[in-house]
Amino acid sequence: MPLIGTPNIVRSAVNWPHAVACLLVAVTALLLGFGALVTTYDAAMAVPDWPGTYGHNMFLFPLTQWLSGPWDLFLEHGHRLLGALVGVLSLLLAAVTWRRDAAPAVRALVIAAVMLVIVQGLLGGMRVLLDDKTVAKVHACTGPLFFAVAIAIATLTRRMPAALQINPPVRGVGFSTAGDSRLLPSWAVGAAVPKALVVAAYLQLVAGAQLRHIDATITIGAFRWMVVTHLVGAAMVTVLAALATFAWQPHEPVSARRWSWLILSMVFGQLLLGAGAWAFTSGVPVWLQGLWTPTEAVVARSPRGAIVITGHALLGMMILGSSVVMALEWGSAEALGGLIGPNRRRQGVAR
Amino acid sequence: MKLTPTVPTGCNGIGNQPPRATGFQSAWSLVLLTIFFATGCGATPPAWFRPNMVKATKEKLSAQREQQVATIMLAMFGTPDDPVALPETGLDEAKLRLAAGPVRSNIVGRKNGLYREHCAHCHGITGDALGPTAAFLNPYPRDYRPGVFKFKSTERADKPTHSDLVRLLKNGAPGTSMPSFALLSETQIEALVEYVKYLSIRGETEFNLMGAFFELEGEEDELPLGRDFLVGEMLTPVTEKWAAAAGARIPVPEMPADLDLVASVAKGRALFYGDKANCVKCHGPTALGDGQANDFDDWNKPIVEWKKEIAGEKDSKFLARAHRVLDGDALKPRTIQPRNLRLGIYRGGRRPLDLYYRIHAGVNGAPMPAAKGTIPPEDIWDIVNYVRSLPYELDGELGADRPMVARDRF
Repeated sequence: MPLIGTPNIVRSAVNWPHAVACLLVAVTALLLGFGALVTTYDAAMAVPDWPGTYGHNMFLFPLTQWLSGPWDLFLEHGHRLLGALVGVLSLLLAAVTWRRDAAPAVRALVIAAVMLVIVQGLLGGMRVLLDDKTVAKVHACTGPLFFAVAIAIATLTRRMPAALQINPPVRGVGFSTAGDSRLLPSWAVGAAVPKALVVAAYLQLVAGAQLRHIDATITIGAFRWMVVTHLVGAAMVTVLAALATFAWQPHEPVSARRWSWLILSMVFGQLLLGAGAWAFTSGVPVWLQGLWTPTEAVVARSPRGAIVITGHALLGMMILGSSVVMALEWGSAEALGGLIGPNRRRQGVAR
Repeated sequence: MKLTPTVPTGCNGIGNQPPRATGFQSAWSLVLLTIFFATGCGATPPAWFRPNMVKATKEKLSAQREQQVATIMLAMFGTPDDPVALPETGLDEAKLRLAAGPVRSNIVGRKNGLYREHCAHCHGITGDALGPTAAFLNPYPRDYRPGVFKFKSTERADKPTHSDLVRLLKNGAPGTSMPSFALLSETQIEALVEYVKYLSIRGETEFNLMGAFFELEGEEDELPLGRDFLVGEMLTPVTEKWAAAAGARIPVPEMPADLDLVASVAKGRALFYGDKANCVKCHGPTALGDGQANDFDDWNKPIVEWKKEIAGEKDSKFLARAHRVLDGDALKPRTIQPRNLRLGIYRGGRRPLDLYYRIHAGVNGAPMPAAKGTIPPEDIWDIVNYVRSLPYELDGELGADRPMVARDRF
């Protein structure tokens, strides 16, 4: 997918910050998958010590015991190893970014990523050592935040903002020329939608983490509040995703538009997975019971249930990641508006 | 047995508030708060057994009495993290310890905290059906404390057998939110069943104790709180029922090998709509569960009745307390819906034997009466056969007289 105005001279060299950032995103996605499974199977306390694993240095824990041991141990130790790998990759990313003299925004994000990965590692350790669900909730919220930062770095390093200023895009190259819908009242409101979507998607993950790490000591009222928050969040994400998809201005990048369609489809998938996750954990909702009642009881801890419940958490994170990419691509037009506008006016490009 | 003097005290100043974290007790949590203020307001409070506040408030127990009950319960049964099984309970403490406490799996082949992993979010830490998700479920999760269980192979008033509970855990209760735990190991299921019994015995003992305090005439009167009284008079009557259940399985006559199924179904149908069995009264003339549906089960009925009682209460302080308890320690009462027999969904099991037990003994805690003594055993089999045919009965086969029969009834 061509990015906005990325010049050929940049493409010819190996873009190490971008490559490392992409690797970081991929490994982080895997890490999040393991983390989500750890929560689904309540396996966080499969290893009682930290930072070691059963007295071993984490990296020297026998491979055979890890791979052929209990499922909970496989998940928890695997989560730790991947976490360590993500930490190393974050440091590597910081090193290559500094060597490449990246933009200040990228540098700031890399610093944030390194700080977040350290905090996240400590949180993981505290969750185990203190055996505390509140820490588990915070840990579950920091993970997607780090993922969002990693994706932002990967997107921004790909874009090369400095080059954009040299070679501003023109109409027809990377910009949508169709669909002049102008459904939104102004350019400013339009630009706010993808940003709001990022915030809503993240807050929705925070709300979901409260439900996923539910503690039996909380009151029914507190749980009801959590459910309502999560449902309102789902509605907000859906509306924002729909707005981002259908309420376009003609000067937005085509790539961002494609992301919006992807996000919208993921949101609909997420709604289905959310309903499935509820059904697997709490049965058929009361309001649906008159219409449909399954003839068999749900099997607790079944692979099917684990896929649906874990998939719901993971897809939420993917929606957040995609929203970040879209917001940055959308934002590129916004950020460049001041630059492009006069250029385009000079070039006689009519809006 | 060790008495610990400090027990949770609180709500209304009278002993039912959880021991909440009073603030951030370590530096790290302060750091966390600055990062994510929205995710929590302190360390997770420890699990605790919630006192039966409906009973305590209904009996107008004083704060001091409530404190006494809580202290005795702590001594007799321990805590959710550290359960105690007195020998008289007949419970296996090793199994209880596998099910109790927080979730951990740090010993190969063993997972602790099974109850909190699988059950507590609906049934509650105390087994009082006040878990966080309870209000969202229909039917509500089972409150173990009254010691009443619906789906079993024993007579209506008896406790279920151990294998009844094992079977329920393995199969779940179709048509409800109760899942099947068929993927758990035998050891894990045994541990969970033992823990359910423990919570039930604990709940009934607490109920008895509160009742005994209520019977005292004056506030200065005291119960003989020695072992003889607490174990002999409060606990043993409960555990004896559990022990008796083991040999109390309902004798079931074999279904005749040469049974004429068509004739049996026709006979069962006549019984279904007839005066003796009178199934039609609740299950409805169409068997869709559209009969009488204004009754409550034994878990909801006391709440409904207590609400009626306090409606005329003059003491505003007590009234406020009662409403607080109704809001926080009881679920909103729901009428019980007679089962739609045409769905082919049987919560207590779909085997003919399971249906035989349901019809013979009724459903304990629900309005479904026992046919025992009214319907001969062989006729119960006929009703079983008819009920089993209902999901497959086509409209055309219903016969023109069926609604007539129904109309005759009402």
